[in-house]
Amino acid sequence: MASTAVPQGSLRQRNTGSKKSPAAAPLEQEVSKVKSVQQKTKTSETEYRIGLVLITLFGFLTRFWGISHPNEVVFDEVHFGKFASYYLERTYFFDVHPPFGKLLFAFMGWLVGYDGHFHFENIGDSYIVNKVPYVAFRALPAILGALTVSVVYLIMWESGYTLPACIIAAGLVLLDNAHIGQTRLILLDATLVFCMACSLLFYIKFYKLRHEPFSRKWWKWLILTGFALSADISVKYVGTFAFITIGSAVIIDLWELLDVKRPGGALSLSQFSKHFGARAFGLIIMPFLFYLFWFQVHFAVLTRSGPGDDFMTPEFQETLSDNVMLANSLDIQYYDTLTIRHKETKAYLHSHPDRYPLRYDDGRVSSQGQQVTGYPYNDTNNYWQILPMDGDEALGRVVKNHDLVRLRHVVTDTVLLSHDVASPSYPTNQEFTTVAVADAIGKRAQDTLFEVRIEHGKKSQAFKSIASHFKLIHNPSKVAMWTHTKPLPEWAFKQQEINGNKQIAPSSNVWLVEDIPSVPQSDPRRQKPERQVKTLPFLRKWFELQRAMFYHNSKLTSSHPYASHPYQWPFLLRGVSFWTKNDTRQQIYFLGNPVGWWLASSLLAVFVGIIGADQISLRRGIDALDRRTRSRLYNSTGFFFLAWATHYFPFYLMGRQLFLHHYLPAHLASCLVAGSLIEFVFTAEPAEEGPSGGKTQSAGPKRYLSARERLAGQSTMGVWVACGVVLAVAVAGWYFFLPLTYGYPGLSVEQVLRRKWLGYDLHFAK
Amino acid sequence: MAPKKPVVASGADVGDGVRRRPVAAAQAVPVTAAPTAPTAPTEVDNKKQLAPKKSSVLNFLDAWEVVLAPLLLTALAIFTRLWKIGISNIVTWDEAHFGKFGSHYIKHEYYFDVHPPLGKMLVGLSGVLAGYNGSFEFKSGEKYPEDVDYTFMRAFNAGFGIACIPMAYFTARELKLSRPAVWLVTLMVLCENSYTTISRFILLDSMLLCGTVATVYCWAKFHNQRYNSFEPEWFLWLFMTGLSIGCVCSVKLVGLFVTALVGLYTVEDLWRKFGDTKMPVVTLGAHVVTRVVGLIVIPLLVYMLSFALHFAILDRTGPGDAQMSSLFQANLKGTSVGRDSPLEIAYGSRATIKNMGYGGGLLHSHVQTYPEGSHQQQVTCYHHKDSNNDWFFYPSRDDEAYDSEADPRFIADGTTIRLIHAQTGRNLHSHDIAAPMSKSDKEVSCYGNLTVGDAKDHWKVEVVRDAASRDRSRIRTLTTAFRLKHPVMGCYLRAGNKNLPQWGFKQIEVTCTKTNNPRDTYTHWNVEAHWNDKLPPSDPGVYKSPFFHDFIHLNVAMMTSNNALVPDPDKQDDLASKWWQWPILDVGLRMCSWDDSVVKYFLLGNPFVYWGSTAALGVFGLVAAWYILRWQRGFGDLNTTELDQIHYAGLYPVVGWFLHYLPFVVMARVTYVHHYYPALYFAILTFGFLADWFLRNRKRVVQYAAYGLLYTVIIGLYIYFIPICFGMTGPNKQYRYMKWFEKWRVTD
Repeated sequence: MASTAVPQGSLRQRNTGSKKSPAAAPLEQEVSKVKSVQQKTKTSETEYRIGLVLITLFGFLTRFWGISHPNEVVFDEVHFGKFASYYLERTYFFDVHPPFGKLLFAFMGWLVGYDGHFHFENIGDSYIVNKVPYVAFRALPAILGALTVSVVYLIMWESGYTLPACIIAAGLVLLDNAHIGQTRLILLDATLVFCMACSLLFYIKFYKLRHEPFSRKWWKWLILTGFALSADISVKYVGTFAFITIGSAVIIDLWELLDVKRPGGALSLSQFSKHFGARAFGLIIMPFLFYLFWFQVHFAVLTRSGPGDDFMTPEFQETLSDNVMLANSLDIQYYDTLTIRHKETKAYLHSHPDRYPLRYDDGRVSSQGQQVTGYPYNDTNNYWQILPMDGDEALGRVVKNHDLVRLRHVVTDTVLLSHDVASPSYPTNQEFTTVAVADAIGKRAQDTLFEVRIEHGKKSQAFKSIASHFKLIHNPSKVAMWTHTKPLPEWAFKQQEINGNKQIAPSSNVWLVEDIPSVPQSDPRRQKPERQVKTLPFLRKWFELQRAMFYHNSKLTSSHPYASHPYQWPFLLRGVSFWTKNDTRQQIYFLGNPVGWWLASSLLAVFVGIIGADQISLRRGIDALDRRTRSRLYNSTGFFFLAWATHYFPFYLMGRQLFLHHYLPAHLASCLVAGSLIEFVFTAEPAEEGPSGGKTQSAGPKRYLSARERLAGQSTMGVWVACGVVLAVAVAGWYFFLPLTYGYPGLSVEQVLRRKWLGYDLHFAK
Repeated sequence: MAPKKPVVASGADVGDGVRRRPVAAAQAVPVTAAPTAPTAPTEVDNKKQLAPKKSSVLNFLDAWEVVLAPLLLTALAIFTRLWKIGISNIVTWDEAHFGKFGSHYIKHEYYFDVHPPLGKMLVGLSGVLAGYNGSFEFKSGEKYPEDVDYTFMRAFNAGFGIACIPMAYFTARELKLSRPAVWLVTLMVLCENSYTTISRFILLDSMLLCGTVATVYCWAKFHNQRYNSFEPEWFLWLFMTGLSIGCVCSVKLVGLFVTALVGLYTVEDLWRKFGDTKMPVVTLGAHVVTRVVGLIVIPLLVYMLSFALHFAILDRTGPGDAQMSSLFQANLKGTSVGRDSPLEIAYGSRATIKNMGYGGGLLHSHVQTYPEGSHQQQVTCYHHKDSNNDWFFYPSRDDEAYDSEADPRFIADGTTIRLIHAQTGRNLHSHDIAAPMSKSDKEVSCYGNLTVGDAKDHWKVEVVRDAASRDRSRIRTLTTAFRLKHPVMGCYLRAGNKNLPQWGFKQIEVTCTKTNNPRDTYTHWNVEAHWNDKLPPSDPGVYKSPFFHDFIHLNVAMMTSNNALVPDPDKQDDLASKWWQWPILDVGLRMCSWDDSVVKYFLLGNPFVYWGSTAALGVFGLVAAWYILRWQRGFGDLNTTELDQIHYAGLYPVVGWFLHYLPFVVMARVTYVHHYYPALYFAILTFGFLADWFLRNRKRVVQYAAYGLLYTVIIGLYIYFIPICFGMTGPNKQYRYMKWFEKWRVTD
């Protein structure tokens, strides 16, 4: 790839003067500016420089325009905003993505002095009310998103494409609604795409220096490639695909170095192993160390216990300070009085003397037993005494995991029971009630037995307050005590229903003992020696976290209403609804620019067609392309195509839920293919006729000229026209879908319907 | 390596001279006498030199090796595969399935299974030959009754296992391995305990294995005819390859993997011919056409023929009816579908409603509720007959209520109705809640009762077509295809062959889809069974369903239920194993109960064959990498002949192994050890190739020692483990010596 990034010959300027054909694109202005400047300066790079400046400028404009809207939490900002807050509060959390991308957000928050008090709980929460510097957060991806456009431009430039080809590729990314939409919000993909683009650029730079191996610059770009790759994989694991892209190119490169008949003369094996070693160090070992480094930062920042504790082993949790587990957890002993709280809904297990009505509204009958409900406030009716199964009255015995226990409601002196009677709201679930103590150890003895099953608990592990998350399993019928937020009718004072869930597995069955009111504050059991925060070796912590991340990542298989399948992406069949606002009929619908998207995808097909046709005609002994054009087509465009393929096809093997934004890196590569292929079609011998027509065009030079000189022989007019047309349609598509990307203005029904091109499931269509 | 060649290329190197000949004189090797003929002259040369030293007996043996060796090995195979084959008189392992399916053929009862029919028809044939009347139920672990000649049925099946041995022998010869390597390959197939065991029962695996081996043999034969294109023999082996592909695919769809191997070979071959610019275009075209006919059309015809036979034999109603379309069922003997049921649907009719998509089932509901979404009663599609499939047609709530005394009112195109589930009395209902699997569709549930409910219980009947009449004022049993539109949300009732998880018992998800595609057959429904006392019975089942429709329908149904065979995390399956356990022989499989009174069979391979062949795959990779790297560094180690040998006798078996192994890595379904057996054959071929490659130019002594050692180890281990194949009688403790590892659960 990138064999020539040569100065423009003066010949090019001759052409530009003659073509003032007015193209419809708004960017034509820019183009003419480029030209006017170009005519003044004789140095050929200038027009590229101006193009870069303009493209970057437009990049920042499109990304930053109206970035403060909406001033609410949008889509996955729920996650990544929250994680930034956790970093700022230094509380430990768990996520399936590596830390680098999230650390960048935290860094941004730290720069503007934000303390992380807001936890981004729900989509639609207001940033204004909660005083969050969200524009600063969003500025980070927006900056990276804008720079991504420049990097695309640079890739094309470095690879030696003509100015219009550079503009086409960069323009397709610049005007793509999906890239814009994804980079204006607090999401990781902007960083990911930027790093991916950088790794391509740096590798091309590195490869261009192949004739001066081990020079200072050679090392610089090698190491930068490795760094970009490392940053890529440290944001999300899909960064691995960039490793595959670069890795494939490196393997081909090494293969050619190994060749004894290589043009530069055979390398000795020791020279070769130096090449091999340098690449292994720069592209594997060093990136891995950087990857580990971000984890070290992660652990160093998160020193306080937080919501991620539960995912880690107890040894790991002991390394975190002011951990509630260490501070307030007590071993529970028989005959202690407990308050038991539902983990999800925060309701206490509660009972009161009122009874279930005989008949419910739907005609079913109850046991008329004493009500057992969930109640959100502190109350002595929440007190339950834990009794052993055997009735042994010895005090001081610790309750263990899997013990069978009874729970006595202290105020009414009755014992918790479940039986095969349908619960008030769920005909399929069992009713919970209480019975008098005499019955509870008499004829209903079996029905009052419950098993304490500690989550992820070991056999005969002690049952602790706060620390032990547990399920209470009714022993004879094996249902789990469960509650939900739908309130019971007036007869139960709108409190929550407690019933027995036949599905034991769901995490909504989890309860915890919040306190032991029977143990006074002064009790020696509460007095615990201050425990030291322990340390663990870094590698052990990293290994544990890494395993947990992979494990939980593989569990992300549930279906999502806006999840899509990889085959839909190149055709842009479906987007994702990010945010809606009913009163103004505004919505953000994550969708690419269909025009640019389809153009890029169809050019991928054209590329495959050209390569296929070329291979077939070569096989039949017909050589339609000159050596340089073919080398360019295979090495440079082929490299972009490889990048596309390696960022796209692996998704077919993935079981987890996928979204359109997973295609963004591949889309960027497809834009590179589009730019280079358009140049190929309009400047080289027309390849689409090549296979059949044979070598009819006399324009193809027989001498090996540099690409620029060769192109100078022909008119680049065609590319410029194509560039104008492509930009014009791309701008039109971008403008048309702009309300869905920027979230304003709101659209009328008719306007929404006009944008449902492929039946996109937009909101407010009625 | 190459320069050494002439020095040691003496008698042992028979193959070399032969192989060079076709290269030099591509046109004229007479193939009629293959494989013996080309070998003979060279051997004769050798014999001339050696004649004084050899006795005439050895001479004779040497000359007739090609007949004697396969005969001897086949005789051994007959012994090992048939010895004491009937000592276990109970239904063992999957005999419970395949024996039962065989019985269905004998009784002509329609049944459904995930495998194509050829293998099971052969089991049925063996039953017929054994004089079995099909009345035995083949319950797992049950004793065979007196009148079932299970010994013969097993022996019939063992025949396929026996046939593998001579075919393996000739395949190795066709792959140009030297004589001791040919013996090695054959011995590894013969002395393979798992192959022995699996061949001794009424199972499909021996047939599958036989088909795979046969396909490779035909392919190798065909390959060796490559310089005799369009000669009769060339046509013969092309045709045979196609035929064996067709047969193996009709036994189990695993046959597609060996098909892929032949496909890859053909693509490479044609690509090579395509690059030969001297070849006339007509010849090239003829090559392509013959390949298409021989390797695509013929197998497809065989496959379809097996299904045609399947439909022709099974002409009575049986347990698999509900998998098929209503019209197909109506044409089975003894069915109640379309017989004596009223033709036109009226309010108050009780009916079952069938999805018309390929592989569609009956609309079904049961008391279990959705664990998510609305938590209302589940609605699914079910492939078995059951009273939970019955629905009442009721007028909508806006309409005049149903009066059982009044004259029947008929339902027309465009009528809005309610469907009431007969068992639970709830209404078919849909609402604005995402469906459990297809999140973009709406959930369909059963809700309310006769009085409780709302407009979301309404469904509008939209007739798509009617095979019997153009009159749209009636809905007719079997012949009317209609869609059910939910008027409130404007969506259509659909069942798209997506299996629910365990909570839905792996039945098919029913949803309400927003897309209005009148040609989506998964939204088409027809009435299958119909009861209404007030209407006169008639006979709507006079229409035939076309063969192609049935064929595709059955194949889609097979795929769907195959996809549902995923491991159930809630259910522990001791017998299932994972792909990574197979090549290292990590586990075996108990084929029956481990009670001391039963004859016990344990499915475990010959450890040397497994480990050796697995290692061979890795070694082959190293060998290939070695030569490629050396080539890039400018060393010309290999001549064309050697390159061809690596390519066809080494690389293709390795590719074959990957093709038979990798799909199981990706596959989500439950897998067992016997899924590895076809792959193992390719690993064995690789081992044979490597042994040949490393030893063919060594000194005779080395060769004798190495091959002798290999033979001894293989045969020794085979005999050591033979009780697991012949059946272990008595207490399992006495077989403790075979329990080398904890997971080889030969004893408790």
